[in-house]
Amino acid sequence: MKPMILALSMILLFAGGRAFAAAAQDDIVELRYENRKFIPQTLNVPANKPFQIKIVNASKEAIEFESYKVNREKVVGPGETVTVNIPALKPGSYDFYDDFHRDVPEGKIVAK
Amino acid sequence: MNIRRSLLLLALFLPAYAPPALAQMDPWEFEVYGYQTVPRGMLEIESLNSVVLNGSRHGEKGTSKGTVPSQSMWRTAIEVTYGLTDRIEAAMYVNLAKPRGDDLQYAGSKFRLRGRLFDQGELPVDVGWYFELAYKRTPKYDDQKLELELRPILQRDVGDFSFIVSPKFEKILVGSEEKEGWEFGYVSGIYYRWMRAFSPGVEFYGAIGMMKHPDSTRDQQHYIFPVVRGEYRGIEYSVGPGFGLTHGSDRTLVKFNLGLEKYIGAIFGPSTNPLF
Repeated sequence: MKPMILALSMILLFAGGRAFAAAAQDDIVELRYENRKFIPQTLNVPANKPFQIKIVNASKEAIEFESYKVNREKVVGPGETVTVNIPALKPGSYDFYDDFHRDVPEGKIVAK
Repeated sequence: MNIRRSLLLLALFLPAYAPPALAQMDPWEFEVYGYQTVPRGMLEIESLNSVVLNGSRHGEKGTSKGTVPSQSMWRTAIEVTYGLTDRIEAAMYVNLAKPRGDDLQYAGSKFRLRGRLFDQGELPVDVGWYFELAYKRTPKYDDQKLELELRPILQRDVGDFSFIVSPKFEKILVGSEEKEGWEFGYVSGIYYRWMRAFSPGVEFYGAIGMMKHPDSTRDQQHYIFPVVRGEYRGIEYSVGPGFGLTHGSDRTLVKFNLGLEKYIGAIFGPSTNPLF
């Protein structure tokens, strides 16, 4: 059982930092998916500060919000709303897209 | 010492400083699982392939756990994974082997649950878990019948780099070694997100043997794989040569994994519980 105890201890140890990490993510930006496009297509966010994206899928199809550079992917079913944590970004532009529908215009996160 | 530096040191030196296996590797799975699980409602089909270019001509040496030598062994695992929730996936594997001069043969099955805790970025280090049962009735490839594997998965993204560390704890449940204790091994990787279609990384796989009485350093298995991976036209790949670092390891292997994902519909809604 020692390995199990070790594994659980590690998880609890890291879980201890959760409240701290979550507290730093006060900023929420909203992104809506409707009529096969993201609205807005550009999300302006402050650089060097974690934030959250609240994704509202107002369409009748499932989408997958994905950003390769930010290393995030999340399925959002029709009519669902989900929140994605984004780490502090250096100033720059980071693309995101709907991985289920490659014909949907890509959006970008601009950190400045 | 801050967490970033600790993780970097751990990822870099884990292979070198792992305690002193006839170490049991899983040669059908040269893949590093990170924190992210297959998204809810997605079905992923993967083909995990490897071939031993320079291995052993005797059984139970190198990556061979049975009587069939590893030299020129071609291994393929067909893995089918479904994203049950935002945080839990279920997978089934069928292992196949093609020894030198022989036909492709069944070599065992595995069933796995993998999950993650909380949302990505909520903890200083993203934490996942891995529970696997391997069912084998193919003694020439592995003479143990049922094996349990548990892993925590720890991932930290720093800029464009991802660091993944995953210690492995294995226990034979049914077989001649069922009274033995736990075996220890590791799977880890460092990746640079360069381009979606092409990104480099380095992967580490190893096993030291039983935790209570590890094999000598010479007999342990440790491998390093420089890899490139990415996604092209909807097909994910991870390819690279592997080099054995100890006498007990096969000398040279090549891995080439391919995967395809398709959304087939979700059973559950978005996760509201940090554990499920």
